Formats: sequence, structure tokens, C-alpha cells
Amino acid sequence: MAITGTVSDTFAHAEEAPVSERDLDWSVVQRVQAGNVGAFDQLVQKYREHIFSVIYNMTSNREDASDLTQETFIKAFQAIARFKGKSSFFTWIYRIAINSTMTFLKKRSRRRYISYENINEEVSSSEIFERLTSKNRSEKGALIQELQEKLNDSLQKLSPKHRTVVVLHEIEGLSHGQIAEITKTSVGTVRSRLHYAKQQLQSYLKDYVG
Amino acid sequence: MAKLPEAREAEINVGDLLRLKRSERPSDQFWNEFDRELHQRMLQALVQKDPWYLQVLRGFSGRMLQSTAVVAAAVIAMVVVWPALQPTIVPVAVAVAQAPSVEVVSAPGEAGLAELWLAEVADLTAVADYHTDVISVDEASSDVKFVRDFGMESVQLASYDASTYSTDSAQARVSFASAGVASLVY
Repeated sequence: MAITGTVSDTFAHAEEAPVSERDLDWSVVQRVQAGNVGAFDQLVQKYREHIFSVIYNMTSNREDASDLTQETFIKAFQAIARFKGKSSFFTWIYRIAINSTMTFLKKRSRRRYISYENINEEVSSSEIFERLTSKNRSEKGALIQELQEKLNDSLQKLSPKHRTVVVLHEIEGLSHGQIAEITKTSVGTVRSRLHYAKQQLQSYLKDYVG
Repeated sequence: MAKLPEAREAEINVGDLLRLKRSERPSDQFWNEFDRELHQRMLQALVQKDPWYLQVLRGFSGRMLQSTAVVAAAVIAMVVVWPALQPTIVPVAVAVAQAPSVEVVSAPGEAGLAELWLAEVADLTAVADYHTDVISVDEASSDVKFVRDFGMESVQLASYDASTYSTDSAQARVSFASAGVASLVY
């Protein structure tokens, strides 16, 4: 059973067939630019969960993620008059979210509060979780909590740049090209960071993998 | 030994674990609260004016920047390009002073030739005030048997003690220099 959809399921890849999505977003942006402030809510409804997910997995704190997601949309709203549509709104809003989170993480570097989001009940019936339960011979509830802590802890051990790539690719399901566009780096850099980050995670999560 | 495909499929990798995090989703109640807060903040953002320095920066980055760039280009054109297009009249002295200097390197001995040439040039303007047909020698010199068997324009004769030279040597030297100035040095 699929746990949740990814960004790629919801929005076509930027380099594959984003034209319709991109045009759709652009038409909404133009309406907002023309003074229809209410139209911005369509963009909020479309992207809020994905933006929240990225920030939450970057910060491992649901309150911070909530604040930063709101901040991201407010920044976009304030700057939308200057948005020329050179990149897609999708790329633009993700870039604002990543930059805001990076700035926040730099300020927060000395203190770290962990606040987890509830895990959806679907996960306990997923195939991967069934295999994990049989392998570790643990009780499901305890294993879910333990694994959630371990996953968040392992992600927080990565540098923000490596964490960004892992979150966008492995959790959000974005392509290398999309991540490169959002982070303004090359595809090679994205691949390199992803490879290194997965090696690190492999060692942190060695009790669960294999 | 390589693992069987079934065993490989049963393995859990990092990607599988990370995909579990997609299930960490907020409730509908969370999103209701989120929307309410966001609308409030957006309304505040609409009515709230930016600080003066942000407005200045924003204005500067827009039309002001464009107009400033045009003015700057015009000023540069006036200061740099316009003078370059004007015809220039340079005084000769200045032009000579500005002309690239050519250093003449003379070989040893050329300085003497140059002086000689200058002397000849000077001589062109001089009026010939001599004409020697007969070279006379001191009458006391009884051993002189000088035969004038050559034609020449001038002979410089350094008079010395006649006993120290012979006519043969004088003849030979004068013949050698018959095409021009003959110098007899004893």
C-alpha cells in the first residue's frame, strides 16, 4: 500500500511535462498580480502540505515547520508582484522555503528541539513496516516510535545541504534536475550530495537496513 | 556470494526507511488552524508598510535603477566617448616631444666619420681661397728634387726638416691620394 503521494505524483516533473501545471500556476499568479488577492489561496492549498513536509523533515519540529511554512507563503505573497515567471512557481516557492529554513537552521544551530508529527496509521500496515517488524521481532507501536526517533535523529546529523537533498529526493520524490534548479546547483552536485548523505544514513540506520 | 533476488527484495534500504517519513502528516485540525493563522498574517502583511529603507531599496531596484543606469551611461558617453571623437590639434613641439624616440646606435669610429661629413658640408659653403700650382720647399733644402707629375686640387704639406724625407716617398703618397685631398705627412 502506498503511504502517501509525492510531489512528483501530484505535479509533473519540471523537465518532463510541467507545462500545464506551470501554466496553471502562472495564470493564478497573474490573477494575484492583477489584484485578486484571494486567488493566492489556491496556491496555498496546492503547495502547503509539500512545503510543510520539506520544512518539517529539515527541522524535525512541527511548530517550527508550521511557522516557517506560513513565513514562506507570506514572503511569496509579498514578492509575487515581482515574480516574472522565469522559473515555475513550484520552483520559486520551494526555493523560498529552503532558503528560509536554511536561515532558520543557522540561527538555531546551538539548540535543537525535537517535536514529531503524528505518523499516519497507514504506515503500520505498509509492506516495509511488516518486514521491519518481523526482522526486529518488536511490537509494532514501540517500533514505530523507535524508528521515527531514529530517522529524525539521523537526518539531523546530516549537514543542512545534505539533508535538503535527501528530503527533496527520498521523501518528496523530486528529480535531480528539479533539486538542482531549486538549490541553484548542478545535477552532479545533487547526485554527489545524495550519494554521500545516503552513505551516512546507512551507517546511522544500520540496525534497520539490510 | 551474491544474494538471491528474493533476498535482495526482502532487504530494507535507506530509501525504504526514509519513505516511511511521508506518513508523518499533520491532521485536518492542524491545517484549519494553519489557514486561519496564515490569513491573519497575510492581512497584516497587506496593511503593514515596509520600513522606509526597504521601500527605498525596492524603488531603487526597480525604475530608479533603470533611470540611473541610463543617466550613468549618458555621463560616461559625455566624459569618455565624446572627447575621443573630437579632432585634436597638437602643437608641433608637443608632437615631436610625444613622438617615439629613435635611438641611433653608432658603431665605433662612426662618430669620426660624422664629424668629417659635417666638416665637408661646412666646406661646401666655404669659398676656395687657395690654389696651389707649385709646391715650394725651403730653399735651404738642397737635396729636394720634387717633380710635379700629378694633378690635384690641393696639397697639404707639413713642412719639416727636409733631410728626413725622400722625394720618392712623397711622390708615392701624393699619387695614392690623387683623386682628392692629398696629405703628406712627414
